[in-house]
Amino acid sequence: MKTLQYTKAIFGLCMGVMCYSCDSFTEVDLPQTQLTGEAVYQDEVTATAALSDIYARMRENGVVSGNTDGLSPLMGLYADELTFYGNAMAPADNFYNHTLIPSNAYVSSLWSNSYAQIYAANALFEGVSNSAISGEPRNRLVGEALFIRALIHFYLVNLYGDIPYIETTNYQVNAHVSRMPATLVYDRIINDLQTSKNLLPDSYTSTERIRANKAAAQALLARVYLYQQQWSLAESEATSVINNPTFNMETNLDAAFLNTNPSTILQMHSGIAGANTNEGRLFIFTSGPPVSMAASNELVNAFETNDLRKTHWLKSVTDGTNVWYHPYKYKQNANTGVSQEYSILFRLEEQYLIRAEARAHQNNISGAQDDINIIRNRAGLGNTGAATQSDLLQAISKERQVELFTEVGHRWFDLKRTGQAAAVVAPIKPSWQNTDVLLPLPESELILNPNLQPQNSGY
Amino acid sequence: MATSPNAKTLQQTHQVSGIITNTTGTLPGASVTIKGKNTGTMSDINGKYQIAAAASDTLVMSFIGYKPLYIPVNGRSIINVQLQDNDATQLQEVVVNAGYYSVKEKERTGSIAKISSKDIEKQPVSNPLAAMQGRMSGVNIVQNTGAPGGGFDIQVRGINSLRADGNTPLYIVDGVPYSSQSLGDIQTSASILAGTSSPLSSINPSDIESIEVLKDADATAIYGSRGANGVILITTKKGKEGKTKFSFHSYSGIGNVTRTMKMMNTQQYLAMRREAFANDGITAYPFYAYDINGIWDQNRYTDWRKELIGGTALFNNIQGTLSGGSKATQFLVSGTYRKETTVFPGDDHYTKGAVLNSITHHSSDDKFNFNLSVNYAKDKNTIQASDLTTQAYTLAPNAPALYDSSGNLNWENGTFNNPLANSLSQYENKTANLIASSVLSYKLFPNWEVKTSLGYNDTNLSENRTMPSTMYNPAYGVTSASSLLFVNNGKRSSWIIEPQVNWNKQWSAHKVNMLVGTTFQSQNSERLSQLGIGFASNSLIHSLGAASMIQTTGNQISEYKYQAFFGRLNYNYNDKYIINLTGRRDGSSRFGPGNRFANFGAIGAAWLFSKERVIADNLSWLSFGKLRGSYGTTGSDQIGDYQFLDSYSISGNTYGGVTGLQPTQLFNPKFGWETNKKLEFAAELGFFNDKIMWSTAWYQNRSSNQLVGIPLPATTGFPSMQANLDASVQNRGLETELRTTNFKNKNFTWTTSLNLTIPKNKLLEFKGLEGSTYANTYVVGQPLNIIKGYHYTGIDPATGTYQFQDYNNDGQITSPLDRQYISDISQKWFGGLSNQFRYKNWEMDFLFQFVKQNGKNYLYAMNLAGTMTNLPVYALNHWPDGGTNPDVQVYTTGANGAALDAYFRFQNSNATISDASFARLKSMSLSYKIPSEWSKTFSGKVYLQGQNLLTFTNYKGVDPENQSMSYLPPLRQYTLGLQLSF
Repeated sequence: MKTLQYTKAIFGLCMGVMCYSCDSFTEVDLPQTQLTGEAVYQDEVTATAALSDIYARMRENGVVSGNTDGLSPLMGLYADELTFYGNAMAPADNFYNHTLIPSNAYVSSLWSNSYAQIYAANALFEGVSNSAISGEPRNRLVGEALFIRALIHFYLVNLYGDIPYIETTNYQVNAHVSRMPATLVYDRIINDLQTSKNLLPDSYTSTERIRANKAAAQALLARVYLYQQQWSLAESEATSVINNPTFNMETNLDAAFLNTNPSTILQMHSGIAGANTNEGRLFIFTSGPPVSMAASNELVNAFETNDLRKTHWLKSVTDGTNVWYHPYKYKQNANTGVSQEYSILFRLEEQYLIRAEARAHQNNISGAQDDINIIRNRAGLGNTGAATQSDLLQAISKERQVELFTEVGHRWFDLKRTGQAAAVVAPIKPSWQNTDVLLPLPESELILNPNLQPQNSGY
Repeated sequence: MATSPNAKTLQQTHQVSGIITNTTGTLPGASVTIKGKNTGTMSDINGKYQIAAAASDTLVMSFIGYKPLYIPVNGRSIINVQLQDNDATQLQEVVVNAGYYSVKEKERTGSIAKISSKDIEKQPVSNPLAAMQGRMSGVNIVQNTGAPGGGFDIQVRGINSLRADGNTPLYIVDGVPYSSQSLGDIQTSASILAGTSSPLSSINPSDIESIEVLKDADATAIYGSRGANGVILITTKKGKEGKTKFSFHSYSGIGNVTRTMKMMNTQQYLAMRREAFANDGITAYPFYAYDINGIWDQNRYTDWRKELIGGTALFNNIQGTLSGGSKATQFLVSGTYRKETTVFPGDDHYTKGAVLNSITHHSSDDKFNFNLSVNYAKDKNTIQASDLTTQAYTLAPNAPALYDSSGNLNWENGTFNNPLANSLSQYENKTANLIASSVLSYKLFPNWEVKTSLGYNDTNLSENRTMPSTMYNPAYGVTSASSLLFVNNGKRSSWIIEPQVNWNKQWSAHKVNMLVGTTFQSQNSERLSQLGIGFASNSLIHSLGAASMIQTTGNQISEYKYQAFFGRLNYNYNDKYIINLTGRRDGSSRFGPGNRFANFGAIGAAWLFSKERVIADNLSWLSFGKLRGSYGTTGSDQIGDYQFLDSYSISGNTYGGVTGLQPTQLFNPKFGWETNKKLEFAAELGFFNDKIMWSTAWYQNRSSNQLVGIPLPATTGFPSMQANLDASVQNRGLETELRTTNFKNKNFTWTTSLNLTIPKNKLLEFKGLEGSTYANTYVVGQPLNIIKGYHYTGIDPATGTYQFQDYNNDGQITSPLDRQYISDISQKWFGGLSNQFRYKNWEMDFLFQFVKQNGKNYLYAMNLAGTMTNLPVYALNHWPDGGTNPDVQVYTTGANGAALDAYFRFQNSNATISDASFARLKSMSLSYKIPSEWSKTFSGKVYLQGQNLLTFTNYKGVDPENQSMSYLPPLRQYTLGLQLSF
């Protein structure tokens, strides 16, 4: 009998201990390295941390990155700017030789990194829109989110053609999206940029111009209108930037890519104090033969005699018999005590070239000449001799080639939008096909979301 | 009260003496005690004993490894006995650890496979999983790399989860759950270890007493949510009663790669290159074609396999153990030191030190029991950061020398990416692992026992990888300002408390055993990964403090809490009918509120029909017969922590002085347990006094409510999201084990063991597979381990390119619509065959492991034939020379676009899947026991051992086990060892 009582007591005790702690024991708090999504956007400081992360990711991976998987090297190879010296069959070699297949590693990383950045921008947009952050901080954050969303989609539509425009974080929607005609994608880009332009202030958050402001939105709008052949709109946006007293052209070509350059509209902070650009690390080599890539003969020979850009923005390397050139806009290939260079995304010179082209199309010959001459004079060249619309357009195209080379795919996108891609690239790339104007969609994406089918033709 | 005269006579003691023998002779050191009394003695050197006993006493004769004998004195004064080896005939008495309880082999209702220290000792391995290969049915283990400290894949009864990382079993070391998740950082270690470092390397195989693998529902349901993929119980050695004994065990050995593939020589290679250029219409060799344009010597030939992976690895292992104890307290202290090098050139070494301490105490009334075991192991792995295997199989045979005349790395004026440059990048890994466990039990009342197990596990890992500027081609012009140091520090500590109450009762033929317990477990992990960039000099590269910039690349903190109730009710009628009920209610912090708790349970039953009168009387040759079955549910919570929360984490990215916050995952607050229903039927038979033991089991595991990181298109911003998928996976199979004692007498014994597993994996249902992200990976009705690829139909006789079947007849070969050919790469059957011979003092053992499977052959990883990479000689058989069925299409340098496209498709076609079956002489050992005549004061053994000695296979590739051309295959090892005990 006594035994039974003991038993009951022990059992009671055990069960008591057990039940007391069931539910509460398995509760865990978030670790100190994490915050809930809601908490992040209740506070401007943490919301800014979320935004900074997007810029940092853009710097390191994806379309605007100066790393190997970014457009500066990849589309430079794809067009006629760079020659590839790395391993045959490397993913970049397939860009260089126009032997891309839908499972190419960079084809999919460009796509997936872009949409990951777009997701983060959408999360920022939704988070801040629903939060207590108000006034200018709110407008700035929302404006930057929309700017980033538009910028990344702009590159995607130019690379892949019809693409989905993602405006929500809802995965149930995003997992089944279909491709949208490119013209509609452009409408959304312009819509986002207009909103962004109205929300963003004129000022920068710091002296470094590392976050988008109103001028950055205008500069991108000018480029978008140019690509859309809306000449007067392109001209007017470019004019707003050109007339903005914040921006002045740097006359010393060797200083044109320093992070203090007054012509910069938007550049990407290098992250750690002392770090410089990924582009500098990627392009610069000091002895031949090159190991990954070098400036192509087409680029080297594109400069007019006496063009200072050839000697200041390209650098020759020789082993005694052969000579190779590498892009030398960014001059640091390692860290320095204080960071000297950041990767520049928008600069004043492009706005002059945009306006020159827009004016030429509107038959404003002298206006176009004025703009192109500003760029030529800085490079030590005399005024352009082009005086007709068609000569001017050709001169502008040439000028863009030597001014904007190896900067986030400008050359390729120019060839493509002006219909010259086949004429220029086919003679130097035996595997060229006319369908190469678009990259293939990543193979895995078509499998994961059949609504994205069909594949771009030619793949 | 007066004692009766009769009783008095019985209580009077007299001297009883005799000789204790075994089958081979006298047995010194055997224990002789009197049942229920506190007196005892031991047999002397001649096996003689003498003890004072009463006529009514019962003598207990016992010795380790023998079945104890209970002999009533019955007034006799001379009693000679022969003790029987605790093997063959005693197999049924072996006690098997089932985790929370233990059972005798014959009373077992569940499916439990076991290996003991005897089997482990025969293999000089550093990872316990290596010792299990080929020895257990239903357990499939693959070694991923021959580099020390590298990973193993293990599956108990097949793949249950669609998630590749959701199939690991639960490891329990001395009652403490041991996380099999590595604290390593893939960025730091990936290129050498084929994944992250294996945490089981921290457990010293020679400290292990036994490893039990729990397979069916009856055995695993008590582990509830963590039992779906089986449970591996590792029990370390404990001290044994007896005089204090010191034993010393040392072995040394050499190892080299098991298999390589024959590669083209310079002549063959250059001929291929010339043909490729000619095919492409290129007459002027481009300047970068150094191998053929005259820059490199075309008469040079180097067999890069010999140069890069052809070295000899050395290993040494020394262990000292002190053990012994009284009847009340036993102890064991053991220390092990191991050192290994690799087959790569350079100074790579792996060292491991392990200490095991164990103390067991029983109170004099036997009511209180206490055990404390502490395992501490420290590994240090210093090895080059990337495996040279890829280079050994791709470098042009006429590539320049590795070193120049002054002994420096040769870059051949910037034209040669010297493979040894990679060896300048060093990987260093230090792990310290402490597992402490304690069991306290007290017999509160007769039949009642309260027990608490306490466990603590602490793992610290520190790894780093250096990338000095000297590893780059000097053409890059980089200096130590670009040198990198990756550092990753991780720690994990967990504790577990499991209070339990045990009740057992026996009346007449009924035996009941009941167990109720609860578990509280908490685990905290922390990891910090940093990157140091730029050093004043490369000699400072190991110091993060010397880096000019430090970047945090990752910082994770996570907490996991787990709570459960469990119970067992076992009823045994007359040792003939046994029913075993087990259950568990589990709660895990990995699930959102409302989904945290779930119930699991199983029923198991056994019928020992050989005990039925009619059988026992009529079938004397049938010495044992049992039928058993079980059914129940288990679950899996193998997902990361906090997956149900919408959270942001510190990304390690900085921008404008701000540290970034990044969305951690697409969150799903609703996911719940994955469940696995297991069914098993088995028969166990013993014939001719158990000289032949045969058991066979049929099992069926169905895993549903699949908890999967569902792959999502990139447009969602993430590659995947955790969710329960309406899909179920079935693993069915047949397992057979046969053990025979073929011959046995005083001088010679021969025993054979065979195990065979025939698994069958099948995706049973998958609602909405067609529209899902898995549409091109899985097919309902097929195994999970399939590859959907192009169907290779031969080489186009006109163009010389590979051709494929156009499934949708649209005139083009495109993905995914034409990737419809299903190749099954799962194992058809596998097993092991071991034989053990003993002749006098000599003993020989060998184990064959065999696997029937298809796998990825050399074509899967082979580069495009004609480019600047060497190829296996198989690739000589090419179009147009190769007759009607060449292996390889037209050679091209990559300029032939059609051939290039065909090559990429070919890699994803069934042509790269072929027979990868093999039989391997996994382990062979020959040992000689030093005769007792020579060694009066000690016993000892010398042995010679070999591992992975022979491989029989038709596999076209390097090694059929790891099927890789990028990672070292398992090594072939020869070992010489010595064991002494005093």
